[in-house]
Amino acid sequence: MAYSRHARESLRNVCRAHESVVVRQSGRIALLGETEFGAFQALRLREKHGDDIQVERTEPFNEFAAVRSAVREAARVYEDRDTPAVPYERFAAGEELPDPESMRDAEL
Amino acid sequence: MSDPVRCRVDDTVRCGRALVVSVPVDPSALARAVREERNSDARVAVVADEPGPAHEHVGCIRPAMGLRTQTALAAAARSRGVETRHDAALAEARKKLAALENPDETGTDPTDTATADERARYREAAAAAATETERLRETVAAARGRLQARQEQGLDPTPAAEELAAAVERLSEAETEAAAARQRLDTVRERTRESRDAREQRFRLEERVGNLERQVRARRREQVHEAYLAALEAVPGVGDVAESSGDDVTDPREMEPVVQALAVARIAELSAPVVLACERFERVETAANWLDTAVIRLTSPV
Repeated sequence: MAYSRHARESLRNVCRAHESVVVRQSGRIALLGETEFGAFQALRLREKHGDDIQVERTEPFNEFAAVRSAVREAARVYEDRDTPAVPYERFAAGEELPDPESMRDAEL
Repeated sequence: MSDPVRCRVDDTVRCGRALVVSVPVDPSALARAVREERNSDARVAVVADEPGPAHEHVGCIRPAMGLRTQTALAAAARSRGVETRHDAALAEARKKLAALENPDETGTDPTDTATADERARYREAAAAAATETERLRETVAAARGRLQARQEQGLDPTPAAEELAAAVERLSEAETEAAAARQRLDTVRERTRESRDAREQRFRLEERVGNLERQVRARRREQVHEAYLAALEAVPGVGDVAESSGDDVTDPREMEPVVQALAVARIAELSAPVVLACERFERVETAANWLDTAVIRLTSPV
């Protein structure tokens, strides 16, 4: 992720020049493939732009490993609701569903 | 010049290019009948040429009508065959998008990728296997502790040693299963990535088509802008008002929808009759000439 116009420009250049290493790119964010070469390009950008380049490693999300089943169930029934305009807070009130505050406080 | 129109409302049939219908009827139902849309009134039937793209916007002109002027103007320009420099790019982008939406032609098999539900099951299996491995690891540690305690206390270690061996074996099996589950999940993820690439490509194409359509509409509007302003001035009643108010720069957007619709209809190539339920023209023939298309005028209040 780029935090300056110069850094964004470099990021775009890297993406243009090394298409095979780019998994996705949009605006000032790029997702690079998990190879040494991908890491090399990321490090190069950070070397050049310092804190204007943020490098994070992503990992696939597995909801069965990361959250309790109540959260998965809540997402399922909320998206299946009949009344589109109801916010989750109101939807969950009085039901056996996790309330938004407790979910906010619970880290993965 | 369009062919004569044949219009029937109940048992009353009118034929010609400038028709007057005095039977009470919903003007928009009549306009839908012109376009042969399905939800038109069974009481009415209209035989006319195929309407141009502007007809759905200005094919029915009545007081208190709504008009999306910018869209209508673009459609009017299109009906006149106005071309823009983006037309070819737009056609090309639409063609590519259509090809992507028909996977048969691209040769990719959509059944090749696991469905979202299947992928969820793979994730669940991998998570369950990992949890089970962790649980057995603790079992092994506990069994090892018990064995050590018995040895330290000088008790017979055999039952504890057997327990530990069994636990280690179950752990080993679980680890193998967890590794396999992880491997299956990785394989599915890899394949899903390919289908995401296809989605990404389709999304970009959709964005491109959308952008080009906006540009095409804007360029089309530009090309009929002068004609539109002139048509607005020529709408019966408009010039007089401007003169009497001494304000010759009236913002077109401030004008009544009926006035805007008449001006759009005048510059559009409508090919089919316009239904008029407004009082701007004294004679229906004048309206047909002014709009340069057939007109069906409704005289009775709805």
